[in-house]
Amino acid sequence: MGSPVFVGIQRILVAFDASPHAEHALEVALSMAGDMKAKLFVLAVIRPPEPAESAEFHAVLEEGQERFERSFVPLRERARQKEIDLETEIVLGHPAEQIIHKAETIQASVIVMGKRSHTILHRWMLGSNSERVLRYAHCPVMIVH
Amino acid sequence: MTNTWALCALWVGLALAATLLAIWFKISTALSEIVVGTVAQLVIGVFLTQGGLAGNTQWITFLAGTGAIVLTFLAGAELDPAIFKTKWREAVVIGLAGFFGPFLGCTAIAHYVLHWAIMPSWLCGVALSTTSVAVVYAVMLELGFNVTEYGKAILAACFINDLGTVIALGLIFSPFTIRTLIFVVVSVVVFVVLPFLTPRFFKKYGGRVSELEAKYLLFFLFAMGALAVWAGSEAVLPAYMIGMVLAGTVGKDHSLIRRLRTLTFGLLTPFYFIRAGSFVSVPALIAAPLTLLILFAAKSTFKAVAVYPAVRVHKYDGKAGAYYTLMMSTGLTFGTISALFGLNHQIITQVQYSYIVGTVIASAVIPTLIANSFFLPHHLLPHTLKSKKSEQAVQRPVPAEEG
Repeated sequence: MGSPVFVGIQRILVAFDASPHAEHALEVALSMAGDMKAKLFVLAVIRPPEPAESAEFHAVLEEGQERFERSFVPLRERARQKEIDLETEIVLGHPAEQIIHKAETIQASVIVMGKRSHTILHRWMLGSNSERVLRYAHCPVMIVH
Repeated sequence: MTNTWALCALWVGLALAATLLAIWFKISTALSEIVVGTVAQLVIGVFLTQGGLAGNTQWITFLAGTGAIVLTFLAGAELDPAIFKTKWREAVVIGLAGFFGPFLGCTAIAHYVLHWAIMPSWLCGVALSTTSVAVVYAVMLELGFNVTEYGKAILAACFINDLGTVIALGLIFSPFTIRTLIFVVVSVVVFVVLPFLTPRFFKKYGGRVSELEAKYLLFFLFAMGALAVWAGSEAVLPAYMIGMVLAGTVGKDHSLIRRLRTLTFGLLTPFYFIRAGSFVSVPALIAAPLTLLILFAAKSTFKAVAVYPAVRVHKYDGKAGAYYTLMMSTGLTFGTISALFGLNHQIITQVQYSYIVGTVIASAVIPTLIANSFFLPHHLLPHTLKSKKSEQAVQRPVPAEEG
């Protein structure tokens, strides 16, 4: 095996939140997967409001499932056209936690995610998901601007 | 009438601001509305009008009360009867431990340490005995515990815990009279009849644009609420019970639950939570922050001390038990409902109300803030929950039919 970044990429994990940044990251990952004949995993994470409150929590859960499922429909079609082996999954939890966990579970060669800009207050209160993934991921992480 | 619309615009404007804050900071709308209510009351009361948000205006009280009733009904309707049937023994033991531990402990602390009178101390115990079913369920989904036997038992226990809170609130502070007896008898009859009557009635007349289902449910919620208040009890008690007995029928009708949520979030609960926040006295909290710390420590300690042995008795993994003990944090809905009940019935003062609601908020927020500040992926924590996770094949993806 050579450099783990660009040689022998077999499994690409894309963190997807349906934002324009994530769409961009997905484009890059689709291109990479097509070129490298790699399997593409797309993970969407529903983040519950904190603290979760009964009725609102279930509403967020259902809305998130439907939104991501809608996003996955055209994605599956594009992957089929490009003959890319695609797997999609929707989970609930902290985005960084779930992305890192999924990357380890599937032994991802690389994680691709979009960069979101946050205010200082937002970063202080919630932290940056991309920074956390960078810190704890077992594999290279590609942040797409 | 101009004043009514102006006041309404102010409240809905605050609800809008609270929703934006909730979206930006990814916090629950309930929490955001409580905080916005507190801040708005402080600012408007100091700089604009002496009455502030006028939270005791009759129509605001009605909308807020309806919000509490429907929210409690929805919370009860989330119970999974199938899980409860298979796990009722563990659920009852752990749930009652989760209720009685902080209930008795916080009552004692309020009375003997803070020197509150006995009735305010009982109210404090009730308000801090609650748990958050949604918090526990969210963590279970995140870790894949929702499919384990252990996870199901804990979830059912949370409902028992909150049922204990609602029953205590409904019975402790009301005198036992002939009215109480009538209320209990009628309630039992209604709770037995509703699960049979409701699906048949909906099947015959439901599914129309006239929203018969919502009117039917609101009729029973208001009627039983009226009976409860007439008997000196609290309207949320029958609402929670009606939610639980209809969980297997109405609770499974996602379309109906969704429409009720729209009504609840769009109009009712903003009035409830902003009103709950508007009664919090910030100067009182600043004047004696130690009281808040004592109540917070008492709530957390007694919850853990009571739940942990109950979990261990059922031979569940010790570390996982400790984790779930921590997760049984106070629910904003039942915590504030209890505190508001005490304030409205002059069982507690506004200062005591402020400390109780402050503790409810702190117990909901502090664990989250700590978790965000010292973020470390759960699955990388050494010696944690892996023994339980391997109990069954862990199903991490969000299940389509949960909740």
